[in-house]
Amino acid sequence: MKSLHPLTWWIWSLLIVGAVIASNNAWVAGFAMAVAAISVFKFSENAPWSKSFWFSLKLGAFILVIRTVVGVLIGVPIPGTALFSIPRLPLPNWIAGIRVGGVVTQERLLSSIHEGLIIITVIALFGAAVSLTSPHKLLRITPIVIYEFGVATVIATSALPQLVLSASRIRRARALRGDEKPSWRSIAIPLLEDSLSRSLELAAAMDARGYGISRKRSRYRPIPWQQIDSAVVATALAAITFVLVLKR
Amino acid sequence: MINFANVSLIYPTSTKTILEDLSFSIVEGELVLIIGSTGTGKSSLLKLINGLVPHHTGGILAGDITVDGISTKLVRPGDLSHLVGIVGQNPSQGFVTDTVEEELAFGMEAQNLAPDLMRKRVEEILDLMALAHLRNRSISTLSGGEQQRVAIGSALVMHPKILVLDEPTSALDPIAAEEVLSILHRLVHDLSLTVVIAEHRLERVIGFADRIIHISGDGSAKIDTPEVILKDSDIAPPIVHLARALGLSEVGLSVREVRRASEKYRNVGDDLESEIAVTGEITVSANDLTLKYGSHVALKNININVRAGEIVALMGRNGAGKSSLLTTLVGLQNPTSGRSSIGGEFSTELKGKIRRETVGFIPQEPSDLLYGQSVLGECQQADKDNQISKGTTLALLQRIVPSVNEKTHPRDLSEGQRLALALSVVLSAQPQVLILDEPTRGLDYQSKALLCGLLQNFAKELGRSVLIATHDVELVAELADRVIFLSEGEIVADGPTLDILLSSPAFAPQVSKVMSPRRWLTVSDVVAAMEKQQ
Repeated sequence: MKSLHPLTWWIWSLLIVGAVIASNNAWVAGFAMAVAAISVFKFSENAPWSKSFWFSLKLGAFILVIRTVVGVLIGVPIPGTALFSIPRLPLPNWIAGIRVGGVVTQERLLSSIHEGLIIITVIALFGAAVSLTSPHKLLRITPIVIYEFGVATVIATSALPQLVLSASRIRRARALRGDEKPSWRSIAIPLLEDSLSRSLELAAAMDARGYGISRKRSRYRPIPWQQIDSAVVATALAAITFVLVLKR
Repeated sequence: MINFANVSLIYPTSTKTILEDLSFSIVEGELVLIIGSTGTGKSSLLKLINGLVPHHTGGILAGDITVDGISTKLVRPGDLSHLVGIVGQNPSQGFVTDTVEEELAFGMEAQNLAPDLMRKRVEEILDLMALAHLRNRSISTLSGGEQQRVAIGSALVMHPKILVLDEPTSALDPIAAEEVLSILHRLVHDLSLTVVIAEHRLERVIGFADRIIHISGDGSAKIDTPEVILKDSDIAPPIVHLARALGLSEVGLSVREVRRASEKYRNVGDDLESEIAVTGEITVSANDLTLKYGSHVALKNININVRAGEIVALMGRNGAGKSSLLTTLVGLQNPTSGRSSIGGEFSTELKGKIRRETVGFIPQEPSDLLYGQSVLGECQQADKDNQISKGTTLALLQRIVPSVNEKTHPRDLSEGQRLALALSVVLSAQPQVLILDEPTRGLDYQSKALLCGLLQNFAKELGRSVLIATHDVELVAELADRVIFLSEGEIVADGPTLDILLSSPAFAPQVSKVMSPRRWLTVSDVVAAMEKQQ
């Protein structure tokens, strides 16, 4: 399983994301997430970026909570069974379309959670692709043509893994200094700063090594597209076809 | 080959000029050494050569720099990649692939070289840098010294005309450092490679240098042969300090020269006696500690004790298991079998305030310990954590490095300043045991002397324990009471510093090489012996 093509899991994730969005169904979303979790658990190598999936799940859960709260508080009311009511914020007439507070209906809550779930799934699938693919390998097969965004590409593909690395580094430092449960707030800024500066350093290193100077790139050990890669992609293709056929 | 004409450099956020009106030229096949205190701009000077400064870092550059006739202002750093190979101070942050072979091939792939040619060159470099057995290993699992060799190899594989190295030997054990330097020496002589090195440990490189650029810190620089520069430089290897202390008329650069000139001193004075073992209570102990990573055995049945008031140095080859032992001792890693304890508590059970007050650990990268936004923020956090009065940590820091600006971001500090900050943070909790992993990486002689004083005081005056893993024999000679020698995860020697260091020439400090067979380790030992004589 070690030598899957770096694009395989990315294609797989993109197709599944397509299937989830097309179906717009919470069960499909949940199922896709479960499959992604199993794949990560089974196939990811013990590399620094492998933790990206769990990190993306945490991030997704955070977004779900925020999304649900905001969705319930603000927006157009959906009629239905009233669950409870919160005081309504009086707003001037000229923004008549928007409502803050008021009656919270079961339908409103469910639709917020539903939308949130779809978003989580998309994030989790992205996290799974990052977890299962070495960012360095991905970079090696990136066509040189897009060097115009060279540095941006490097940063984009390495940002999440770097973020995860930095998170564990900072947590370790905290533990060493006897702070086992640091608050999110105290970590967030150093975390972003650290991972971004490391991504920039990586970009500088690649530049110094001549990345993108020649329009053509030779391969030391070509990474072949194998049958197993086709098989993985085929499962995702089957999933998206299945969803599209059912929808019709 | 390299030409600097009236070069000045200033960073926009700084008020200090890094370099001012610097002009020099380096000819083909020359090995030039750059020396200067930490934070004086050595790394900036090196990065100017291939244009990483100011292309990637920003900064205002005046004057002109040409490399093999190409002005660095007009091209990107990548356009010089076939000409200039650069190895940064921190190779682990510069790796762009996962495995050793891929890393070596990366630059050549970018140059679109033919696969056959790449194969051949990779094999050559694997042999040259003694990396053949590591070819398929993931780079993140290599030891610091092995990573350094990979970084140098991946620069050399491009067959550059110029090789720029920022502290290439700081992570290497004495023997590996010697090997890397002799490879460079050979390339300089055989292929007329031009090499520019910044290094703090002059005792290792001075014999290879053709010329020295001494950056003084106020922007000015002196360029001359080693003999001239070292005659009155404050930055000098122990051997030069010895020559000065003995009043020898000529400053010799090699052990051979100084040995000839100092013959009469070897017949007088008393030898150093091995110190009597420290008898404080045991603060750190490991019983049958074994650690395995998969099938790889990192530590094998380690038994050690460290006592209160004792300074113990942990030495050994790159990848011998020093860092593994330290991280297991402080409880960052669970041993496969066996137990370790610090201050009577099992290492793995140390938590919170008790951990802080029991053991302070400075990892190989002191910045790993820092996560604040400024020096001041970091110090305030430490004050808060330890419930001590405000400003205590900052005061401690300013005692170690008076010049540090409290608003600076920890990332922008020099290596020495960063170490000092990490130390102050750790010491503010007044731990029973202090454990340091390679603390002298990137430190100049002055900061090193400061560190020695601090640790001596900590161990001897306060009666606490210090355990240091290091490759720096000069530091061990100055500081340690006892040396533990690790090899392949096993303890091969454990005894008083004097006995262990003098038993093998590879790990002997410069002074003892000059004074052999007399049993002296440092300049002050010799001076003391001479004074007693009179």
